[in-house]
Amino acid sequence: MSISMALFSPPISSSLQNPNLIPKIPVSLLSTKRFSLVSVTRATSDNGTTSPAGASASATTVEIPKPVEKSPTESSSASENGAVAADLVAPTVIKYEDAKWVNGTWDLKKFEKDGKMDWDSVIVAEAKRRKFLEDNPETTTNEEPVLFDTSIIPWWAWMKRYHLPEAELLNGRAAMIGFFMAYFVDSLTGVGLVDQMGNFFCKTLLFVSVAGVLFIRKNEDLDKLKALFDETTLYDKQWQAAWKEPESSSTVTSKK
Amino acid sequence: MATFTLKSFTGLRQSSPDQTNFVSHVPSRTQRRNSLRVTAARSSPKLANRNLRVAVIGGGPAGGAAAETLAQGGIETILIERKMDNCKPCGGAIPLCMVGEFNLPLDIIDRRVTKMKMISPSNIAVDIGRTLKEHEYIGMVRREVLDAYLRERAEKSGATVINGLFLKMDLPENWDSPYVLHYTEYDGKTGAAGTKKTMEVDAVIGADGANSRVAKAIDAGDYDYAIAFQERIRIPDEKMTYYEDLAEMYVGDDVSPDFYGWVFPKCDHVAVGTGTVTHKGDIKKFQLATRNRAKDKILGGKIIRVEAHPIPEHPRPRRLSKRVALVGDAAGYVTKCSGEGIYFAAKSGRMCAEAIVEGSQNGKKMIDESDLRKYLEKWDKTYLPTYRVLDVLQKVFYRSNPAREAFVEMCGDEYVQKMTFDSYLYKRVAPGNPLEDLKLAVNTIGSLVRANALRREIEKLSV
Repeated sequence: MSISMALFSPPISSSLQNPNLIPKIPVSLLSTKRFSLVSVTRATSDNGTTSPAGASASATTVEIPKPVEKSPTESSSASENGAVAADLVAPTVIKYEDAKWVNGTWDLKKFEKDGKMDWDSVIVAEAKRRKFLEDNPETTTNEEPVLFDTSIIPWWAWMKRYHLPEAELLNGRAAMIGFFMAYFVDSLTGVGLVDQMGNFFCKTLLFVSVAGVLFIRKNEDLDKLKALFDETTLYDKQWQAAWKEPESSSTVTSKK
Repeated sequence: MATFTLKSFTGLRQSSPDQTNFVSHVPSRTQRRNSLRVTAARSSPKLANRNLRVAVIGGGPAGGAAAETLAQGGIETILIERKMDNCKPCGGAIPLCMVGEFNLPLDIIDRRVTKMKMISPSNIAVDIGRTLKEHEYIGMVRREVLDAYLRERAEKSGATVINGLFLKMDLPENWDSPYVLHYTEYDGKTGAAGTKKTMEVDAVIGADGANSRVAKAIDAGDYDYAIAFQERIRIPDEKMTYYEDLAEMYVGDDVSPDFYGWVFPKCDHVAVGTGTVTHKGDIKKFQLATRNRAKDKILGGKIIRVEAHPIPEHPRPRRLSKRVALVGDAAGYVTKCSGEGIYFAAKSGRMCAEAIVEGSQNGKKMIDESDLRKYLEKWDKTYLPTYRVLDVLQKVFYRSNPAREAFVEMCGDEYVQKMTFDSYLYKRVAPGNPLEDLKLAVNTIGSLVRANALRREIEKLSV
C-alpha cells in the first residue's frame, strides 16, 4: 500500500459520489492543507465500495499539481469507476489499479473460491480492466509492463460462459421453427415428418432455416452480411481495375 | 507501307503466347485509340539516329531506381525532381532485401531495428524479434539521404537530373508522336520563379508520389488514401537508449480507428505518429492519444517537427496509358496493414524501367502500351499475394478493439513472428509447416473468440 499524495476535487459532491477516486488536477489550485491519504482505499473487490477514510479525507485537501506531462503513479484510485466522478475541466490522470492485479497480470491465487478456481471472476475482472482502459487510456511504462494473456483461462471456462447459453438459445429457435415448419408442411401437403426428410426440397428448406438461425439473429444482420461480402471482394476489384477496359461493356477479369 | 504483324490490342485478356503471329486489323474501339494499332514491339520501327527518350517525373525511390535502370539499359533518361533536399515525412523503414537488391551502402542506414513492441488497447505489450537472426534487421533511413543517394547513382549511370516542377503534359496524337512535357526549371536556385520549359520525350514514368500530376494528366483515376501524421520528438539520451534498436506499435480505438500509432527511432530523435483513413478530421486527437500512450517513455521530449502526408490505400484504377506508366506511390503501391511503401516504390520503378529497356531493345526501338503492360503483369503476379494477405490482416485485425487484442496476443507466438519477419524482410510468402499453420489457425480463432467474448462482457458491464 503506498502512501498517496492525493489531489482532491474541490466540490464535495463529486468526492461523495465516489470517495475512492481522487482525481489529479493539473491546474494550479490553492492548497489549504496537505493531506496524505494513509489508507489507500483500494477495495478488495472491484466494485468500488465506499470507505469512510476516503470520504473524510476527500473534503479539504488540494495539492499544487505537477506539470501536465508527468503522470505520478501514486494515485489511489481503486478501480474502473474512476472516470465517473471526475467532473473537472482539466484532464485528470487516473491509473488502473486493483488488489488482484499484480505485476502486470492477474494473481490467479486471489480468485479462488472455496478452494476451487473461479474462472468466471477472472474473466469479469479482465473485462472491467479493459473497459477502464478503453475509457481512460493510459501510458505504458517499462517499469510495469502488462503481461496478461487470456489463454491462461481454460477453453471450457469460455465455453461454459459464452458458447453454451447462446447455443441453447439458437437450438431452441431452430427446434421451434423446425416443429412448426414440419407441422405446416404436413398440414398443407399431407407428407409426414419421415417422408419430408426424404424429399430434396424439404431438406433444402431445413438447411436454409438452420443457416438462417445461425447467421441472422437481428434484422441488421442481413445488411451486415451483405456489407461483409462486398468488403471481402473490394480490394481485389481495385487491383483488377487496371486490367479492365474502361469503355467496354463486357466486364473482363484479369488473367491472374 | 510495309505490313506490320499486329497483336490484338485489347490488354492481356485475349492475347496469349501463341498469338504473337496473329495478323489482323483491329478496328477502332474508342476515340482514344488510333485506327491502326502497331502493337508488337518486335516489329516497331527502329528509331533513326537516336535512342529512346524517357522522362521520369519525381526523384524519390521510385524515380531514382527507374532512372538508374533506364540509364544502364542505354536509354536517354531525364529525371525531373522539384526539391532536391526534400525531407519527406515518412516512417523510413526499409526491409533487409532492399539493401541487397539495390546495393545500398550500409552507412545510409541510421539504425537497425531488431526488436518491436506491439501494444494492445489494454496495454498488453508483446515483444517481437526473438526469432531474428544475427544479420537480420529493419533498416531505418532518413528519406533525404536515401533519395539523394539513388538519384546520384542514376546520374552516374548516365541519367540527366533536372531540378524542376512538372506542370502538365501534352498527349501525342499518333502512336509515334512524342509527349510534350511542360515544366518549370529551377536550376538549383531556391525561391526563384524558375523558367518555363518544354521537352519532348517518347515515354514517361510517373513517379511523383501520392498527389501525382502525371496521374492526373493520363486520367488515371483516384484512390482512397490515409492521412499519416507524425511528430519528430527529441527525447533525453537516457530515454533514447530504450529506443536504440526498438520500434513500437500501438493499436487501439483511441490511437486510430483503422490503423496504428507508432514510435520509430530515427538518427537522434524518435518519430511519434498515427494515421487514419476514415476519421481524418480527428487526426490530432489520435496523435494526442498516441503521445499519451507513450508518455512515460517520451517524457521531457521536445517536438522538433510536425509533418503529415497522404498514404494511398489501393492502386489507381488505371496505372498506365499508352506510353505513360505510374510507379510507386503515384500508382498506389502501399501495402495495407503496415503501410509500407519505400521498397515497393523502388521495386516498381525498377520493374517498369526493365520492361521499357526490354521492349525497346536497349533503346533502339519505340515502345508502346503492351511493353508497359508487361511490367504491370509482372508486378501483379509477384506482389498481389502479398498485398492480398496484408489486406485480409488489416480487415480482420484492425476492425475493433477485441480484434486488436487478439492480434497482439497472436504476435506473441513464435511461429507468427517467424512467418511475419520472413515475409516482411524478404518479401516472399514462405510456405510454412502445415501442422504449425493449423495450430496457428486454431490459435487465431481462439484469440478472436476470447477477445470478442470479453467485449460482450464489457458491454454487459456498461448496461
